[in-house]
Amino acid sequence: MKAPLIRNERFVQIGAPLLVGVLVLLMWQLTVMAFDVPKYLVPSPVDIGQSLVSDFPSLFNALLMTLKVTFLAFAIAVMAGVSASLLFVQSKWIEISLFPYAVLMQVTPVVAIAPLIIIWVDDTTWALTICAVIVAIFPIISNTTLGLRSVDPNLLSMFRMYRTSRWQELVRLRIPSALPYFFGGLRISSGLALIGAVVAEFVAGTGGAQAGLAYMILQSGYNLQIPRMFAALILITVTGILLFALMVWMSDRALRNWHESALKVEH
Amino acid sequence: MTATKVMPLNPVPDTGPDTSEPGTVAPRPVLQVSSVDKIYGNGTVALKGADLTVKQGEFVSLLGPSGCGKSTLLRIMAGLGQVTTGNVRWWEQDYGVVGSRGRKLAFVFQNATLMPWARVRKNVRLPLDLEHAGKSEDVEQKIDDALGMVGLKGFDNSFPRELSGGMQMRASIARAMVTEPNLLLMDEPFGALDEMTRNKLNDDVLKLWKEKGWTIVFVTHSVYEAVYLSSRVVVMAARPGRIVDDIAIEESYPRSPNFRVSTEFAGYCRQVSQALERASAMGEDRDEERQP
Repeated sequence: MKAPLIRNERFVQIGAPLLVGVLVLLMWQLTVMAFDVPKYLVPSPVDIGQSLVSDFPSLFNALLMTLKVTFLAFAIAVMAGVSASLLFVQSKWIEISLFPYAVLMQVTPVVAIAPLIIIWVDDTTWALTICAVIVAIFPIISNTTLGLRSVDPNLLSMFRMYRTSRWQELVRLRIPSALPYFFGGLRISSGLALIGAVVAEFVAGTGGAQAGLAYMILQSGYNLQIPRMFAALILITVTGILLFALMVWMSDRALRNWHESALKVEH
Repeated sequence: MTATKVMPLNPVPDTGPDTSEPGTVAPRPVLQVSSVDKIYGNGTVALKGADLTVKQGEFVSLLGPSGCGKSTLLRIMAGLGQVTTGNVRWWEQDYGVVGSRGRKLAFVFQNATLMPWARVRKNVRLPLDLEHAGKSEDVEQKIDDALGMVGLKGFDNSFPRELSGGMQMRASIARAMVTEPNLLLMDEPFGALDEMTRNKLNDDVLKLWKEKGWTIVFVTHSVYEAVYLSSRVVVMAARPGRIVDDIAIEESYPRSPNFRVSTEFAGYCRQVSQALERASAMGEDRDEERQP
């Protein structure tokens, strides 16, 4: 006999938050209609939906620009972050000497240094990318370094008994051990890359062909096109959620056979 | 400041393979621990004047209360720990023979210590991969043989988490076996297993020891396990860790499960238990001496 849908874990995982979302939107729509709230103050979900459709070409172009900066920054943060971690685990001295500078990047507010970067770097895309990298890189460095160091001491002893090279130790032991930590870093960093890109766009205020979603929000605010502002905001949020979901999927694919975080427990 | 003596690890010319079998006359010493002290950086004396010689083909158990330095001594025997003073010799040579030609040490840890991300076959072949043994038919055969001997044939493609605790331990033993070690060091390998599995694995280890002509040093907390398995039981006392008794178990091999219920077994257990009680009392006396 087929089990009822409510018992289906996958259905519940998707259905429950979706139901909450639909209820909130319904309440929102009804409240706006009941109190006759003007569009320029709080637009209704229907107004935002209409804006999403009517302004789709400009919103989509802006989304592509933001995505370009986000993915570029994320890729650079992953490569540079992993390289830094690999360097750190080679020697405690290297880690002690360089790690404070990684922390420095983390604690420096990007809005404070973004104007400088935008002045120094001619190309707007690269200027925005550098800002987003600064925001996104720390979780990768921090998590991956922790993972590369969190090796089973007995396994490490065994590797040393066989007098393995540092390369073998890294490839066969440290990197696989670090994977769960690395993927944890990816989940945080992917969202931060998007936030970094948006914040940098706000500071840069770049319009024209290079306008991203942040510029759309600014421009819509100035013109009191609040539904379009919400539409741009929704696109940023949805992008963030999709990025996070992609990282979760990748992590599950890589770890599903062995790591507790990705194992399906049967009761 | 205490000087720490680093054991030289440079390979020196091999003196040829061991040919002596368990039970033959005047077997060669495999391991000689002489006046070994081990003092940790915080001043804890883990071992004091440890002297022990293990001969080819012996099955020696180290038994003692918690904190008596059994595992420390075993790690030193494996070349994994440095001695503060004293000397350790492997096959009558002053060097760590770990991994060098014809002389192989294998270590079985308290936990299975498998790589959770790798399937059983990959775990078992790890020592061979680390020695760049390649993927020849000979290598694959060695892995098949090791898996077969521990009863894990057909589990090659399982991940460690898919195996029971006992099966994980078997995989760990297969990994140690695959290098065809001359000296096998086992640190409470079956301590976390249930009685039935433990007894079964004890019999399996005894069978392999006999078949392969291994020399085994086995750390355990269990008097019964030590008596059942060993040709010698070395009793240690704590604070500081030291060897206080060395009891020969003169029951012949192979030992069947009937040995466990024999009067001889009970006699040996009594003798070892009494030695263990004396060893424990020595540690407590030291504690009382330290009371203000």
